[in-house]
Amino acid sequence: MLECTTLKREVYREMEAVLGSEHISEEPGILDGYAWQPALNLGHDAWIPRPAAVVLPGSTEEVQQIVRICNAHGVKYKAFSTGWASWGGPGEDGVVQIDLRRMNRILEIDEDNMYAVVEPYVCASQLQAEAMQRGLNCHIIGAGPNTSTLANTTSGWGYGWTGLFTGFSGRNPLGVEWVLPDGELLRLGAPGSEAGWFTGDGPGPSLRGVMRGWGGAQGGLGVFTKCAIKLYPWPNGPERVAAEGVLSDIVVHNTPATHRVYFLFSPDYERFGDLAYAIGNAEIGYVHCKGAVGAMFGLLAPRAMLKLLNSPVIAAIIKAFQHMTLFVIAAHTQSEFAYQEKVLREIVHQTDGFILDAGKLPFHGSFWWGLMRSIYPAMAFRPGGDFLTSMGSNETYDCCIRQAQVGETLKRQYIDEGIFLEDMADCTWGGIYEGTSCWGHLEEIAMFDRRKTETAEGRWAFLNDTTQATIDNTLGFGLSSLGEKRYETLGPLMHNYHLWQARIKQAFDPNNASDASFYIPPIDELLSTGEES
Amino acid sequence: MIELKDLQRDMQGCSRCSNCKWVPHLQIKSWRYAKVCPSVDRFHFHAYAGSGKMIIANSLLEGRSELTDVISDVVYRCQLCGACQVSCQAYRDDIDLADVLLGLRAQCVQEGFVLPEHLEMIESMKREDNTLGLLKVDRGQWAEGLDIPDINTTRVEVLFHAGCRFSYDEDLTGVARAAVGLLREAGVDVGIAGRDEACCGGRAYEIGYQGEMPSYAEDMASRVRASGARTLVTPCSDCYYTFKYLYPKNNLDLGVEVLHLTEYLARLLADGTIKPRKKLPLKVTYHDPCHLGRRGESYKPWHGDDKLKRPVRFKQTGKQGVFEAPRTILRAIEGLELVEMERIREYSWCCGAGGGVLEADPDFAAWTATERLAEATATGAEAIVSACPWCERVFRDTLANNGNQLKVFDVMELLSMSLGG
Repeated sequence: MLECTTLKREVYREMEAVLGSEHISEEPGILDGYAWQPALNLGHDAWIPRPAAVVLPGSTEEVQQIVRICNAHGVKYKAFSTGWASWGGPGEDGVVQIDLRRMNRILEIDEDNMYAVVEPYVCASQLQAEAMQRGLNCHIIGAGPNTSTLANTTSGWGYGWTGLFTGFSGRNPLGVEWVLPDGELLRLGAPGSEAGWFTGDGPGPSLRGVMRGWGGAQGGLGVFTKCAIKLYPWPNGPERVAAEGVLSDIVVHNTPATHRVYFLFSPDYERFGDLAYAIGNAEIGYVHCKGAVGAMFGLLAPRAMLKLLNSPVIAAIIKAFQHMTLFVIAAHTQSEFAYQEKVLREIVHQTDGFILDAGKLPFHGSFWWGLMRSIYPAMAFRPGGDFLTSMGSNETYDCCIRQAQVGETLKRQYIDEGIFLEDMADCTWGGIYEGTSCWGHLEEIAMFDRRKTETAEGRWAFLNDTTQATIDNTLGFGLSSLGEKRYETLGPLMHNYHLWQARIKQAFDPNNASDASFYIPPIDELLSTGEES
Repeated sequence: MIELKDLQRDMQGCSRCSNCKWVPHLQIKSWRYAKVCPSVDRFHFHAYAGSGKMIIANSLLEGRSELTDVISDVVYRCQLCGACQVSCQAYRDDIDLADVLLGLRAQCVQEGFVLPEHLEMIESMKREDNTLGLLKVDRGQWAEGLDIPDINTTRVEVLFHAGCRFSYDEDLTGVARAAVGLLREAGVDVGIAGRDEACCGGRAYEIGYQGEMPSYAEDMASRVRASGARTLVTPCSDCYYTFKYLYPKNNLDLGVEVLHLTEYLARLLADGTIKPRKKLPLKVTYHDPCHLGRRGESYKPWHGDDKLKRPVRFKQTGKQGVFEAPRTILRAIEGLELVEMERIREYSWCCGAGGGVLEADPDFAAWTATERLAEATATGAEAIVSACPWCERVFRDTLANNGNQLKVFDVMELLSMSLGG
């Protein structure tokens, strides 16, 4: 039996009095359900620290009470929503896990002002399904539709397939209800003045930068209990997509005539970048994303991929199509569609590329729907059982392409050593955001079987290498930089951002009760370690 | 036999993505009907999800935790409906989640964590050859007066296996009577075992008493051999799953074609042997029984070590379960309008009765059924139709207690009415 810290009896009883005995547990087997976090785990071990107890609050008031009990007794807590990723769980022994799954309502969808107010356990596909019935759509991060919209909007970082049209997670929060680390309730933006939820920046307090900054506090700065998020047009899209099947077998019956998927092929990375800038400047499209040929094979036909890539000739042929862009037009009208397609064809011609119009292929509808619901990234589990992501800082797209090139070179070594699966080192994912802004990101994804010891260790080395590569090549703050205590290296290189974060942490969390293992310790603690003296 | 240690790689493969809690995402059509696992939806802790139970199993194997009464409750508050496996396997080729759930139950029984209600069921099976605690001598009473050949004395083409609930449940025996009556009328050379019919043993296997099933399988095989039948037909989804999946998985071969009643009737419709004549003006929705649908898929043996290399055709995706035959029958009935719920086919919501839950935790069974009946009601249907006596039992009981006016039918009942029965 694994021995772990348990709560003092009076602490447990106080929490039980708030929640009822059905909604708190300290049973080791149940607690281990919160300690297994192999995916999106930047640490060494698939097991993370087992919580001292898990609680299931059903309301903001119950969250406040649990947080206050923790503060009163010097117990740390960590909240999560759908609970996929190690940073949602405890970072140390003795932490109370707050599982927010009972707070699962869509409280409001304001069609006129195009936003929804959600609780933590609303997953993205639920919100998207409801939004589409009203002619609207929401941003879904690449991790997939199983993720909490509130969590990635308030506390994490994420870009999705429709980012060209719907931005990224940090762009989409409006009003927010926030149980601060000490249990006080704060409403950001319009709800702070009881003026609805339509904005996050006033007339109530605007603390978006404090709340989440670039990458979110990963649950290290209290608990977010309600959030209004932006919705976007769903141009001429069906209220309900009529489909048969569940994923790779899906057949769709009502793909709109004004929506179409295209594969755009560029001869090299330079013109791949030119294509992206031109698309952004032309303000066309609904989806822009690099299509990785190796990854596509891996996701849809993993066993075939391994066989095909064993042939150097076939691999070379496939590699020739590496500079591929997935692009989707979603237009309100046929004439708008015709305009966008005409512009697209002209841009592709000018950048020496060619177009494969997937609208003429039999799987068009299924591919279209998979992109719209962001279903494909999680299929990266298929080839090896696990995958990781790295690089991927938000930068100008030329910088992103440089990341892809550096990432490819690095990953090749790990593939050759048998750490990662063969994907032609081309598993780069991301695109440009928000049309004209022409900034975006490209992540370097790697697929592997974590159950092999050598792979688990090799994966850790790769994350270190890619972080170092972003430093050496001045590529920005990437996803592999989110690992525990990376701020020690990166902070001094980036205007000592971590010291400001640590001051925020101390000011908002005087008792250091909100487990900040994947955020930052309070400034006094940070300085007392001597690292920053 | 399923042993946990043989499935540890599957457990270690769990990424905790929680897709096992949701309808496969490309099929989520609303906020309301997006969930697919009754267990975690009712009891909330992650341990109740398919993923959570795999983590528990791995934790046990690693010696991090031990089986306790609390964990035993987690294990048994699950209908083994298989929805988690369907959603998991949409993404994964290397995890057989439903087998881990079965293995956990076997582990519970091995370590003495048994439920009294399940013990009663096992005792009843041993003593009376049925799961319901009723007398063996009464098993054949459902067919009294039907003049059906007895396979103990007559060789037949088709052996009709009624199953425990259709044999004993007085509200439902009419379905079995109508079925064999119709088959006879259609000229099918069908026979029954009557009082000598016995439980298939599948329920014992599901509640963790894996060692009990082979003797029932041998008994079943001997009846099949005695009957000379080339086809075994059952109206019970649980029996069907046992014949199609559990027996072959445990190297138990009946040596006969196994069909669910709806599959056989759909064949008779297709070749024109039977023709619905009477109009039946009724708006219905069809509930896919888990053990006929996703769990009714034939066992696909594969014996490699690394499931990452397992060809997709060997995965138990649930897609090859029986979904079309019942719908084909319903669509053949003139005047009957079939409307679909949001959660159907391999991503259907469970009725609540399976896996020993109806016996051990009737409140949870009713809670699960209530959720399904709400979904059925939302379609505007006047009736919910199924093809499994366990689904129909729990639906009837739940409706009786909540005042919902929805009617419950077996597919066979509606077909019988349309044929003038």
